[in-house]
Amino acid sequence: MKDLLKALPWIGPAVALIAAVVLFPVGLMFWNSTRDISQSGVDDGGVGLANFATVVGFQYFWPILGRTVIWVVVVVACTLLGSLALAALLNKAFPGRRLVRMAVIVPWAASVVMTTLVVHYGLEPYFGIINSFLVDIGLIDTPEGYGWTRHAGTAFAWAMAVAVFVSLPFTTYTILAGLQTVPGETVEAARIDGANGVRTYFSVVLPQLRGAISVAVLINIINVFNSLPILRVMTGSIPGYDADTVMTMIFKYMQNQRQIDLASALSVIAFLVVIGIVAIYVRAVRPLEEV
Amino acid sequence: MAQYKRLGGIMAITLAATTGLTACGFGGSSGEATGDGTTLDLLVPSYSDATQGLWNDVIAGFEEANPDIDVNLQVESWDNLESVIATRIQGSDAPDIYNGGPFAGFADDELLYPVEDVTSDETFADFQPTFLENAEVGGTTYGLPWIASARALFVNDALLEEAGAEVPTTWDELLASAKQVSELGGGVAGYGMPLGSEEAQAEAAVWLWGGGGSFGDAESITVDTPENLEGAEFIKKMIDDGATQADAGATDRSPLFDIFVQGKLGMQVGLPPSVGQIESDNPDLEYSIHPIPTQDGEPFTLGVADHLMAFQNDGDKQEAITAFFDYLYTADVYVPWVQAEGFLPTTVSGSEALADEEALAPFLEVLPGAQFYPSTNPDWSAADSAFKALFGQLDSKKSAKDVLAEVQAQVDAG
Repeated sequence: MKDLLKALPWIGPAVALIAAVVLFPVGLMFWNSTRDISQSGVDDGGVGLANFATVVGFQYFWPILGRTVIWVVVVVACTLLGSLALAALLNKAFPGRRLVRMAVIVPWAASVVMTTLVVHYGLEPYFGIINSFLVDIGLIDTPEGYGWTRHAGTAFAWAMAVAVFVSLPFTTYTILAGLQTVPGETVEAARIDGANGVRTYFSVVLPQLRGAISVAVLINIINVFNSLPILRVMTGSIPGYDADTVMTMIFKYMQNQRQIDLASALSVIAFLVVIGIVAIYVRAVRPLEEV
Repeated sequence: MAQYKRLGGIMAITLAATTGLTACGFGGSSGEATGDGTTLDLLVPSYSDATQGLWNDVIAGFEEANPDIDVNLQVESWDNLESVIATRIQGSDAPDIYNGGPFAGFADDELLYPVEDVTSDETFADFQPTFLENAEVGGTTYGLPWIASARALFVNDALLEEAGAEVPTTWDELLASAKQVSELGGGVAGYGMPLGSEEAQAEAAVWLWGGGGSFGDAESITVDTPENLEGAEFIKKMIDDGATQADAGATDRSPLFDIFVQGKLGMQVGLPPSVGQIESDNPDLEYSIHPIPTQDGEPFTLGVADHLMAFQNDGDKQEAITAFFDYLYTADVYVPWVQAEGFLPTTVSGSEALADEEALAPFLEVLPGAQFYPSTNPDWSAADSAFKALFGQLDSKKSAKDVLAEVQAQVDAG
């Protein structure tokens, strides 16, 4: 206790900052989720857990939750596989490696909304270049192209592709950093023992990447789960709730229906889901421990 | 000891910075008077790229005439506007003057001044009576009609001629003409049907009301009715018969109108500003403007009026707000504003000033008989968003009846 008091001047500012920009908003979110807030934003009193009952009772709630799981699993898995391949490539010395390494950062440096909009416009019928290209090479036979972003399935798939694209740089660099900590001796020893390249990678290199991969996956899960802009742009014009995840649904409650109370309730649910996933993951994989 | 001092300083700065952060979100007082004057906060949507400049001109003129009043301008996109106003009200930081769509919810929450309290008698008497009626909540006018628009059918004359189709006045003629144009091929579609989230409620009104239906009145919102079903069924028929562009259910209005301007659509319902858009983007387009086809051929138009409203806040700015509105609605200030944005005026003096404006003639003609959204019904916002989110499902396997029922259900859940 005395140690804690002594440490207070050092950790105090950080604690104050966390309290103000993390704990306070979270508290407010929990508070709002139990209130009845009018469309114009006036607080009409507490309603207990009624908002949660409304949100969970919504007929599309479970499909939306299921779609969120698919969204997270597919995007994180594809990102991880792509990043492993990219990182292995970038770890080899070849002419122009520096340029390629720079190029990989580009999707990271560009604004997510901008990247998504570029793809979105490319997919527009009549004038989008992706559509024009597909029409020109004869894959689509309607002259105006296909409404990729007008159908729930295709729009969602394209959103996943964009999400993987923008998640690649961070994941690649995390794994690349991990690769560079793999001691050359272990690889050399494996080779002397007669292991081929594939065997060496899966039995020697990959196990040593456990730390890097588990951190990358953890951060990606949180990021992808909370991702709004990509889906918002790619699936925004689709009627109904057949392309929504929890995040876009929160946004629809807040922006379209202006039900801040319901949006808060769903945010609380999302918050608890993320905490749950992270807790399970941390227990099972122990990403923060040494190998 | 010196070290401790420095630490204390850092802590103080951090704490100050963080409390400053929270103050941003929940600040109670908004930029109060500078010196002895009053400051008016103005929150407006962006109608076009010119909007901000137009407001700046108005404000400069007003501040010159009233040196003791400052005006703060905040311009937001339509997409953000309603969440910005909700957030500001929740944070007890409502603007003094707000330009927006539905306002019955604000009136219900007793946040607004009645219009008569913030305008002089002359200004109040100058509004067109139909517009004032449309802005009443429980017998009191809470919104100042600001700009109006009406809808009409834009027809690509060249395409219709090529297809040998007639300009339609009834639904059956519309279906026939649109199919003829669609058969031209080459990416050309007969009728542009935007049921995407941007403005699905407008296309819904065009069809459902054109078939004799309505969205209800100030007391109740009725969407799921037999009259409305006829319009919804016909939308489905238009889509199923290939008379519209592909994916009508998820096509937004503005991008679709770009396609019309490019000359690839036979017909689409447009607004007064659409005239200006064609003028600047494709002046060679051969087009004409006609009344919207209806089931029985009786012309009708969907009128929309956006409103200004004055928030009470602390109740100490009534005089400044009155001065601002009186200045704003003088014909010399008001008419150039409305004209620059390509909309229609809501005042008698404004209409007189624009009487000989040729491009607006087809709209001014149909405006007196315009039907309005039931926007003074507190549930209208819910209905509006339900249409935006769900009405496009007519372009799917769902039946028209189910779609209307689903819209109604979301309205009732409100």
